[in-house]
Amino acid sequence: MGGLTEDKKKKGLEVFETEISSKLITHLNSCVHCGLCADSCIYYNIYKDARYVPAYKVDLVASIYRRYHTLTGKTIPWLTRARDIDDETIREMVDLMYGACTLCGRCSAHCSIGVDIAYLVQTGRTMLANMDYVPGTLQSTVDSAIRSGNNMSIPTAELVDTIKWLEEDLRMEVNDNKASIPMDEPGKSIMYTLNPREPKFFPLSISAMAKIFYAAGESWTLSSRMYDVTNYAYFSGNMEEARIIAQRMYDEVENLNAGRCVMAECGHGYRAFRWEAPNYLKKAFPFEVLTCGELIAEYIREGRIKVDPSKIKGRVTLHDPCNLVRTGGIIEEQRYILRHTVSDFVEMTPHGADNLCCGGGGGQLAMSEYNERRMKIAGMKAEQIKNTAADIVCTPCHNCVDQLIQTNAAYKLGVKIMTVAEIVAEALVIDPSIEKPGL
Amino acid sequence: MMALQWYQWMALAALGICLAALLAHFLRLLRLGKPVEYSRPAGSTGKAIRYAFTGAMSPARKESAFLHLPTYTAGLLYHMGTFLSFFLFFFIIAGSLPEGWLAKAIVAFLCISAFCGIAILFKRMIRKELRVLSNPDDFISNFLVTFFQFLSIAVLFLSTVQLSNRPIVQLFYYIIYTILMLYIPVGKLRHTVYFFAARYHLGFFYGWRGIWPPENLKN
Repeated sequence: MGGLTEDKKKKGLEVFETEISSKLITHLNSCVHCGLCADSCIYYNIYKDARYVPAYKVDLVASIYRRYHTLTGKTIPWLTRARDIDDETIREMVDLMYGACTLCGRCSAHCSIGVDIAYLVQTGRTMLANMDYVPGTLQSTVDSAIRSGNNMSIPTAELVDTIKWLEEDLRMEVNDNKASIPMDEPGKSIMYTLNPREPKFFPLSISAMAKIFYAAGESWTLSSRMYDVTNYAYFSGNMEEARIIAQRMYDEVENLNAGRCVMAECGHGYRAFRWEAPNYLKKAFPFEVLTCGELIAEYIREGRIKVDPSKIKGRVTLHDPCNLVRTGGIIEEQRYILRHTVSDFVEMTPHGADNLCCGGGGGQLAMSEYNERRMKIAGMKAEQIKNTAADIVCTPCHNCVDQLIQTNAAYKLGVKIMTVAEIVAEALVIDPSIEKPGL
Repeated sequence: MMALQWYQWMALAALGICLAALLAHFLRLLRLGKPVEYSRPAGSTGKAIRYAFTGAMSPARKESAFLHLPTYTAGLLYHMGTFLSFFLFFFIIAGSLPEGWLAKAIVAFLCISAFCGIAILFKRMIRKELRVLSNPDDFISNFLVTFFQFLSIAVLFLSTVQLSNRPIVQLFYYIIYTILMLYIPVGKLRHTVYFFAARYHLGFFYGWRGIWPPENLKN
């Protein structure tokens, strides 16, 4: 760390001017230090370290605000422990804002006052990003996305090749030579996005959605130019980079003239584009943004696809991705799907908007410097999974899938990790009588 | 009504300054305007804001409440006692104190609420994570409010035993009231205003995204 200059300090403090709003001022002034948020935090619950209490993280940001923007903080800083921005403050902020928070927002929902704690941690990250203190690992993920168009720097030719062989596989699987995985086709109803993990490590997850689209007779396309559902700049706190990534996705949906942008299974990607991007870009989107979970539920409701629950053997439980559920509002759709797709579905305790984070959110999976902490806090999720006695853990988020795969191995859970789309694809009954207008 | 003493005028002036400062905090929030959202709403912000002030505050829903019922109850009683003491101030300064069973009931309730304040203060001193979190303002705020409640009890109690004119207690009461009023807008006690704004913003956030109120869900 170190290297704090007056110029950097100024850039960090600019957040309190450029991002000023009633919401920001309210939350900066609201915490009463009751500490009752401690039990809502997975970091505090595992480590019992006072610095991991969410209110402590809030106070780091609020104390800087007090120091430079309140009379008490300017004149008698000791009274409210108003802090200067110095190397020590920066070191502690980086460690706690990036390394000890998944931005899951559970503390905000349960705060005795109503302080949006995750929002203030996000504000702290924006301050750090403005001062160039984003952990190198996370920043390199953002840099890849900015430079190449996807966070794994997958060359377009490689993506196209992968999609081609997946298309051949799909044709064989459904025994229909007209089955396809359309690419860069304008005028389709849906532009479907991907998490770069899919073409890179989990191509069968693309096959799963392609099969569902085929079964539903959907009119859809992928884009080879901008398909990355993720926006890691949302996690790094660099709003300018977050804007660039969101703008690219917006432009591509417009370019392909699609009426709906369907997000692949990715909690933060959905949140970043569905909820945050219109505010980054300061405009209402003329197209609909929805998750593939919402779309699949729509297909089941409308009878566009048929599923056979007996195809899924074993007990299935559901992990709720925080950004999709608690801060994204997609709570019921995945449950509706599972109730129709599997015969033995069991909930975790707690679940839904009250779920526990898997530990991989907030960019944690991209920040290898915090791996040990990340796997330790995963213990709470491992315990929840064990208590369900499930054979399959299903989650509509590739980021959560990665964390759950590692949790499965580290805590010897012996479960299978799947996405919701993969479960549906496995239970799918291809009905030749359904018209396929999208083909 | 008797002519007011200098310390009573001082208390009233402090009250005026406090209200003006809190109003300034509130007007600043109003000036900054309502949240601006460009995303398509998925729920009702009105219903969610109502829920933020009602159901979401209940121990049945709020983890910070149901996991800490003694603290939650103590906090609730302490706040009720605080508001009661503030309300009582107007009767004390007007010289028309409650009498009989009502005075005794108020004294009893304020005793409970003031002891809740002490318990919360001790908890802050004893629990490590609270000590790390706390700053001098946290202790001063609690001390001032709790002490003011005890002085309210003293003034009221002395009046029930016909000793209300003890000038030293009265003087002390108004001085502490003055300090408290002047302190409210600068320390954490300004959550008097920000608490309401925080619940509003949280309700707006969850309502816009269709997360609150949870009655919307089938699960």
